[in-house]
Amino acid sequence: MNRKWIIPFFMAIYLPLLSGCWSSIELRDLAIVSAYALDKNEDGTYVGTFQLINPMNVPGALQGGQSGQKPSIATYTATGGNPLEVADRASTKVSRDLYFAHTSLLVISEELAKEEGLSSILDAMERGLEFRTTTNIVISRDMKAGDFVQVLTAIDQVPAEKAIKSLEFTEKLYGENIATNLQKFIKAAVSTGKEPLVSGFTVEGDIKKAKTMEQLQSSEGEATIEVNGIGVFKEGKLMNWIEGDRSEGTLWVLDQIQQAPVNIDWKDKKEAISYKVVRQKTNVEAQTKDGKPVISVHIRAEGDLRAIDVPVNVTDPHVLFRIEKALQQKIKDEAEAAIHEAQKTKTDIFGFGEKLHQSDPHSWKKLEPAWQDVYFPALDVDVTVEAFIRRTGMRNNPYLFDLNKKSD
Amino acid sequence: MSYRKFIKRKKPKEQSEDLEKVEPKSIGTSIKENLNIIKQKTGNSPDIIIRMLTFSHDPRVSTAIVHVDGLVDNPTINEFLVQSMEDSVQEKLEEKDIFKVFSEKVIAVSSLETRKDWDSLFQALLSGDTIILADGKKEALIASTRGGERRLVEQSDSEITLRGSKEGFTESINTNTALVRRIIKNPNLWVETMNLGKQTNTDLSIMYINGIVDTDIVKEVRQRLGRVDLDAILDSGYIEQVIEDESSGLFPTVTHTERPDAVAGNLLEGRVAIFVSGTPHVLIVPAVMIQFFQTPEDYYVRFPISTLIRMLRVFMFLISLIGPAFYVAATTFHQEMIPTDLLVIIASQTESVPFPAIVEALIMEVTFEILREAGLRMPNKISATISIVGALVIGQGVIQAGIVSPAMVIVVATTAIASLATPNYDIAISARLLRFAFMLSAAIAGFYGIILGLIMLIVHLVSLRSFGVPYMSPFAPLVPKGLKDTIMRGPIWSFNERPKSLHPQNPVRQGKHQKPLPPLKRRMVRTNTKEGDKNES
Repeated sequence: MNRKWIIPFFMAIYLPLLSGCWSSIELRDLAIVSAYALDKNEDGTYVGTFQLINPMNVPGALQGGQSGQKPSIATYTATGGNPLEVADRASTKVSRDLYFAHTSLLVISEELAKEEGLSSILDAMERGLEFRTTTNIVISRDMKAGDFVQVLTAIDQVPAEKAIKSLEFTEKLYGENIATNLQKFIKAAVSTGKEPLVSGFTVEGDIKKAKTMEQLQSSEGEATIEVNGIGVFKEGKLMNWIEGDRSEGTLWVLDQIQQAPVNIDWKDKKEAISYKVVRQKTNVEAQTKDGKPVISVHIRAEGDLRAIDVPVNVTDPHVLFRIEKALQQKIKDEAEAAIHEAQKTKTDIFGFGEKLHQSDPHSWKKLEPAWQDVYFPALDVDVTVEAFIRRTGMRNNPYLFDLNKKSD
Repeated sequence: MSYRKFIKRKKPKEQSEDLEKVEPKSIGTSIKENLNIIKQKTGNSPDIIIRMLTFSHDPRVSTAIVHVDGLVDNPTINEFLVQSMEDSVQEKLEEKDIFKVFSEKVIAVSSLETRKDWDSLFQALLSGDTIILADGKKEALIASTRGGERRLVEQSDSEITLRGSKEGFTESINTNTALVRRIIKNPNLWVETMNLGKQTNTDLSIMYINGIVDTDIVKEVRQRLGRVDLDAILDSGYIEQVIEDESSGLFPTVTHTERPDAVAGNLLEGRVAIFVSGTPHVLIVPAVMIQFFQTPEDYYVRFPISTLIRMLRVFMFLISLIGPAFYVAATTFHQEMIPTDLLVIIASQTESVPFPAIVEALIMEVTFEILREAGLRMPNKISATISIVGALVIGQGVIQAGIVSPAMVIVVATTAIASLATPNYDIAISARLLRFAFMLSAAIAGFYGIILGLIMLIVHLVSLRSFGVPYMSPFAPLVPKGLKDTIMRGPIWSFNERPKSLHPQNPVRQGKHQKPLPPLKRRMVRTNTKEGDKNES
């Protein structure tokens, strides 16, 4: 090779090496944060609690073999003026680089959510490089968020995973909760025609003991993490809680039900027939009539009968038709109750405003400034429900019906 | 400059002139002198056998048979040369020209010619022919008696197929060309021979199908071979290295095979085969990248299956190229891309490992290369020991000692198997070398580094040519029709044209409408066949 080329050649070779291993970091220098909890101190500073995964103690890890004897998480607490400063301060306590890309849960204490709101917190989270917008947000009710992330869980070794899974499964199977991530929350919060909903969590039992290995040594556990209610936000702040039937009604209108039980009364017997929804579709249509917004909600549900406590002849199509009617009424009542509740608190959690914006942008411009306070509470919502029984389960008539026949 | 002068000055000129004086160029009349020259030139080697034949009733006429022990077919010499000469010479000696008698009436071998010059005589002698000398004749007879011990036609070790011919080439060039002729029975299958290597005088044949092959390619092959002036040619690898387009690149631009059916298939596509005496590896030019992912068996099994297998091969090549690099990049740069559960498992494994991921990867890769090389060169009995040491001591040991994480061992093992499963060794070895470069670039810049490396690799590949044919064709330049025999293997009935990038003289490969159709009516015999048709049942 010509000597003239040798020097540039070696310069070119060293060029990538000189840059070093930019942004490279070894796995054992990372502290994987599974959950981040934020509380508010009396002096106004934030208290952050980090739930870190301790990989050596997670079952499945070959080396060490410590799983089941030591907690699979470690928590650290730090204070600071804003959520990111908290994270920076924590580095004085943690020997590794806090890694937020795998943070799946952001826990906010009820107190903080009510007084300060989430706006400034979420901005910091979304702006941060590592934090994902798919991180789920939950609110710890009547307790410190820090305590919440310190509770150990039995089946899921990482408590954050447990919280998310129970959130997802109750949303799917029971229809009383809603999983909200950062992105969903921010989208709903910035829209005037919609307000965000966030699920609440409580811990039942002895929290102090639940932080130790005692929690994992009994089948019952010292305390359990439970999904509890849906928090309604207005202008970034927690307004009130929706619970029980009303939360189910809310999810019906929101088209969020995947599978949900509906129980109806039959001939004076309370909750005599249980019906399980397997397919559901809710259509919301918004129109303006004479300058007034009109919303019609159409719910269509398909499902099976699951439990029948009264002697009814379900092989008779007329009886089934009557059951369907009763189901429709029940769902309609739930949905209307949820809507009335929301109208009372003047928060459009269903996104009716957004629908109106889409269908009639011109009148929306007029309605927008006073939507939440004037128009939404006075809204005339027409709820129609269609419910179908597709199957009666693996049996035709209930035992009770057959027994009655025998005695006749 | 002084260095060059120094070398020039030292060149001995006079010595060569001396030699020329001693050696006469052509044969003399005296049989004794001639035999002396043979003995002198071969240094009295005992394997040069000289058999004198003198005839009892006429001692004036003496003849000699010269051959090299082991290179000749002994029964031929005994029966058709010595025996018949002794038997018949007594009767027909009245005639004067003894060679004429020999060639016309006595010697019963297939080929017999007269030569005068020593060069061709020695060439023939050392190739296994027998020289017959006679006193008073200024020429000699060459009887073709080539034979001797050779390896039989066996199954090829390096290219094993489940379906298809089991024949593999041998070290004998004549056997090899014959094996291809047996497949392509066509007078257009042309063979040209030449002799290369100053010391070894190795026979070489180039084979092509006249009327299909692009004559420019044949010319180019001839020209490149004509340029060769090597001392020795011990394997087709010597030829490959002096005729390939890019000798310093990592990718092979000449392919080779041990299978006659592979050679036949390539000749029919318009390629040229180069046979070298003494090796079962036949070179095929020009070669394109995608050929290295194909095996003859691909064409023998049904097309959906071989398409899937070819895709698998390309995937394996990619794994063997960037497998460890991918792992290093993902675990040191892009932890957010690994699912949380998997990341926790990997993290728990690397917790006690004292090295960075790249060092860990390099340790395991180098260890594997050592094991592989050791297993390759060792006799079979010892290689079992090596695999035990490799698997148990190193594989199990490094994990238990916590020097390397199990995840890394899995990655390296997968890469190793993928590399071994690549059908062509030449391309697998390129990937093996490049793997280290990719690992380093991944350690420096993560996925960004891998992508940069891949871009550079593709630029290099696209710039390559093999005997004027772009290496990446039919991808770049794109020949849409050629794509059906690349990563996918279209049905045989759709291969109506030969590969365009080879510029075949006769681009039409087969008749149209080769797709089999179900019978038109329920009766199995198609009704539109007439008497005399080929498909008449």
